[in-house]
Amino acid sequence: MNRTFLLAISLAAVTTVAAAGPIEDQIRFRQSAYSFISWNTGKIKKQVVDQPATYNKEQVIAAANAIAAVANSGLGALYGAGTDQGTGWKPTQLKPEFFKQPDEARRLAIEFNTAANDLARIAQGGDLAAIKAQFGKLSETCKGCHNSFRQRD
Amino acid sequence: MSAVPAETAIAADAARASKVSARTVQVWDLPVRLFHWTLVLSIAAAYVTAEFGGSNWADWHGRIGAFVLALLVFRLIWGFIGTPTARFRNFFPTPSRLVAYLRGRWQGRGHNPLGALSVIALLALVAAQVATGLYANDDIAFAGPLSASVGKSTSDALTGWHEQIFYVLAGFIGLHVLAIIFYLLVRRSNLVTPMITGSKVAVNTESAATTKHLGWRFVAAVAIAATASWLVFRAPAASHAEVAVPAAATADW
Repeated sequence: MNRTFLLAISLAAVTTVAAAGPIEDQIRFRQSAYSFISWNTGKIKKQVVDQPATYNKEQVIAAANAIAAVANSGLGALYGAGTDQGTGWKPTQLKPEFFKQPDEARRLAIEFNTAANDLARIAQGGDLAAIKAQFGKLSETCKGCHNSFRQRD
Repeated sequence: MSAVPAETAIAADAARASKVSARTVQVWDLPVRLFHWTLVLSIAAAYVTAEFGGSNWADWHGRIGAFVLALLVFRLIWGFIGTPTARFRNFFPTPSRLVAYLRGRWQGRGHNPLGALSVIALLALVAAQVATGLYANDDIAFAGPLSASVGKSTSDALTGWHEQIFYVLAGFIGLHVLAIIFYLLVRRSNLVTPMITGSKVAVNTESAATTKHLGWRFVAAVAIAATASWLVFRAPAASHAEVAVPAAATADW
């Protein structure tokens, strides 16, 4: 009886950990992903928009490639059921609506992926005006999803 | 000598007549009107550039913020050196003025005490929007000019305030417009035309003391306002996210 009790406790502990772990991990990984993207959009913003005199073609290509790589890494896997609640590095800002409108979420995600891939391609050309225009489009896809599925601060 | 009393009487009569007959008087000087309508356009443009578009629009949102800061500084200065109806001293809604107005005993030109409350609230809310906006970020590629001086979490919190205060501001703007409609339909008083032409039809035509050197005062106020805004916004919008990478100072891996 004592052993049964202990077994029950440890099983409960295991299942709790198993349930909490992945959700917290998913949230933490995706927060990290967007944080890393933000480092790279920041560099492009600086070199292409704010201070074009500092433009460094190789660095902008590297930044655009990094964004595209994260976008193409299968971020959708980090949006498992229940991840609209929980804390990664900080509490998630994902709205429950995300799971009620999967088609819209998918459309916005693909829009972002396409814009990121286009930016990586256009960055290779080294045309500042074209990069700036595409960077603007990419940021619109960020905003589109934020407006729909991200809780405001 | 015999003509003098007659002339005096005529003058007195004319003065009396002009007081009872409807005539136009100046209510708002040109700088006040310019301030009002450019602020209207700026707030509309700020809303559009915040709500829609990408990072290039966000940059315009920031520039509009700089312009609104200049407008506010200008209005503050003009509240001390403008024409009488523009001066805070003359319309600041003190309790005694509010009581007098609510009892129908208020006589004056310009903002009535209740309207003055609304003016002060609107100016304070716009100032709060500029202040919080300076420290805000959009988590994409925009950061207010002073956001780097506070931590990311503070910037995020102030961004939240910036978004919330907007709704309060929008509510007050709605109230402002409703009040104008109320005055038009119920009180039969058109408040919009005077804000465009500067003058209104008035029974009380006692001319206000003229303000000298209005043009120079305007130029001085604009210069100070523009300089103040420039000093605040010239800080490069370097955010936590925008760590510049000087090629020479960076590891080659």
